[in-house]
Amino acid sequence: MSDVIEQVPLVFTHGKRLAPGAPVSAVVWLQDEAAFALGDGSVRFATLQGERARVDAHGGAILSAARHPDGAAVLTGGDDGRVLRVGVDATITELGAFGRDWVGSIVASARSKLFVAAAGTTATVWLTGAVRPSHAYTFPSTVGGIALDAKGLRLAVSHYGGAALLYPRAAASSRVALKWAGSHLACTLSPDCGYLVTATQELGLHGWRLPIGADMAMSGYRAKTRSFSWDRRAKWLATSGDARVILWPFDGKTGPMGRKPHLTGARGALVTMVAFHPVEDVLAVGYADGAVVLARIDDDHFVFVDEPGSAGISALAWNDAGTMLAWGDEDGGAGLLDMRVRA
Amino acid sequence: MTDLDTRIPVTVLTGYLGAGKTTLLNRILTEPHGRRYAVIVNEFGEIGIDSDLIVDADEEVFEMNNGCICCTVRGDLIRIIEGLMKRRDKFDAIIIETTGLADPAPVAQTFFVDDDVSARSVLDAIVTVVDARHLGLRLADSHEAEEQIAFADVILLNKTDLVSPQELEEVRQRIRKINGQARVHETVRCEVPLAEVLERRAFDLDRILEIEPDFLGEDDHEHDDTITSVSVRSEAPLDPERFNTWLRKLVAVQGVDILRLKGIIAFNNDPDRFVVQGVHMLLDGDSQQPWKADEARLSRLVFIGRNLDQAALAEGFMACAA
Repeated sequence: MSDVIEQVPLVFTHGKRLAPGAPVSAVVWLQDEAAFALGDGSVRFATLQGERARVDAHGGAILSAARHPDGAAVLTGGDDGRVLRVGVDATITELGAFGRDWVGSIVASARSKLFVAAAGTTATVWLTGAVRPSHAYTFPSTVGGIALDAKGLRLAVSHYGGAALLYPRAAASSRVALKWAGSHLACTLSPDCGYLVTATQELGLHGWRLPIGADMAMSGYRAKTRSFSWDRRAKWLATSGDARVILWPFDGKTGPMGRKPHLTGARGALVTMVAFHPVEDVLAVGYADGAVVLARIDDDHFVFVDEPGSAGISALAWNDAGTMLAWGDEDGGAGLLDMRVRA
Repeated sequence: MTDLDTRIPVTVLTGYLGAGKTTLLNRILTEPHGRRYAVIVNEFGEIGIDSDLIVDADEEVFEMNNGCICCTVRGDLIRIIEGLMKRRDKFDAIIIETTGLADPAPVAQTFFVDDDVSARSVLDAIVTVVDARHLGLRLADSHEAEEQIAFADVILLNKTDLVSPQELEEVRQRIRKINGQARVHETVRCEVPLAEVLERRAFDLDRILEIEPDFLGEDDHEHDDTITSVSVRSEAPLDPERFNTWLRKLVAVQGVDILRLKGIIAFNNDPDRFVVQGVHMLLDGDSQQPWKADEARLSRLVFIGRNLDQAALAEGFMACAA
């Protein structure tokens, strides 16, 4: 595959390439600084000036990360079974340890101030300010994915055979059990908690319209969906896992049921990461060939942020203001884009 | 396929509790061979294993929700192999130890079914450790013991010092009857050159060509639950379309009974050997190294499973000739 790139990728004119040197599991913004969580167990804090600090945090690889509700640290989960708070001041605080279970996902809410980590068959909750686990929920099989709604008051947990919906502030939360055969991996809740969508082992998505739980199947993928992103109006859900970004419409009473998805960002390579801009109708897209583009929803136009390289994009995130974009790949490459100086 | 295969080789270690799996594993991890292994174990903590990279597996067997009744995978392995790739620079190969009671099919099928797993890793060999003293008993009381032998590429017939020559011969026969294709090493305390166990891929595929068909004198075919091996061959080059159609149909109908199949096929229009592998209803094949100029272009296919009809399989195979 050979893209003819006539446009100079924006990273060379309005950004900075970084070389953290280990696979990037996640990138989290702490104001104007990006925190890269890496496969070598370290967190690297970087700005357009380059890497500012390296904090060696985990014994093994970092598998998951989220911004701490206090905004001054990144939460990391590792294959050493630990959940850590890694501050911008380079302090490390252990918040939980799960023995030999891997901490595969972490989600946090700035609004409800809680965060949740999945390790093995449990989802563990830390309430406001907690430095030890507040309570945990156990499931019949390993947790595939976890997600919070926009208010941080509802928690979705996907697993083999379906998913569950809980109120994470309550230790004895009621559970809505949503059943569907097969293994459910990454998941996402719509901001208003009107829909839960999971990625399945068989490829494609399964959705439940809440609260009744009407089932939806969304197919047409050629790889597992690992990345979900809702646009700011929660009209579109952008998804990875195909040679185009597949966008499902969630407006109206029944969302995508009986409707066709919208497609964008087709350039031949598999889409691995998607991230909607927080205030504009722009979608950042990362590909398996290492390219990053900014795509529009309404037409096929896109501009290159970074050109194809050697490894797939594995992390992609905007800062809250939408002025900065960060990405990282499976081979230890990364980059930052500054949107403020866009001509 | 001339590109260098950069996928991580995976060795699966099966065998009943007490057969000697841990002895073998410890030998692999402690002997100086310059290779670094990530080890996926099940009974973490119960055994003293010395390795930096040990991962605990839950042996979560998932049915695929795709209408294929015997299609099961190990969900934990999919997750673990993906996670290990974040530390790819720390190891050269992966060893998966299963519990004594594990059915090898979901482990093997994981490497066929999951594209992310098969893009990053390749099933090198299933190694089964068998206790020479207790095999008879195991075969009588569990079908897992039989399946572990059936699935094996390499069998360590261990603890041979604890049985009489006559008993050993009986065990040999039983193993050969179930799996006529695996390489069998008779050992005491799993003492075998590790090169015979690890990273065997190319060697063991070549071995298919050496196998003589009808090694069991297949006429005494029994329609019962016993696992047997059947080998078929064709001196005439095959037509790829006919062969694919035949094999697909065959596994669709008899896949439940076919535990494993392996073959090297000479197609009329392909200078390369076509290597095909299967587990139950799942098939995988690709063109590998070219046939040598002086090599007989002989197509061979080995089936291991239940209710295998040698005559029908041979007839179907021959009918694929171009």
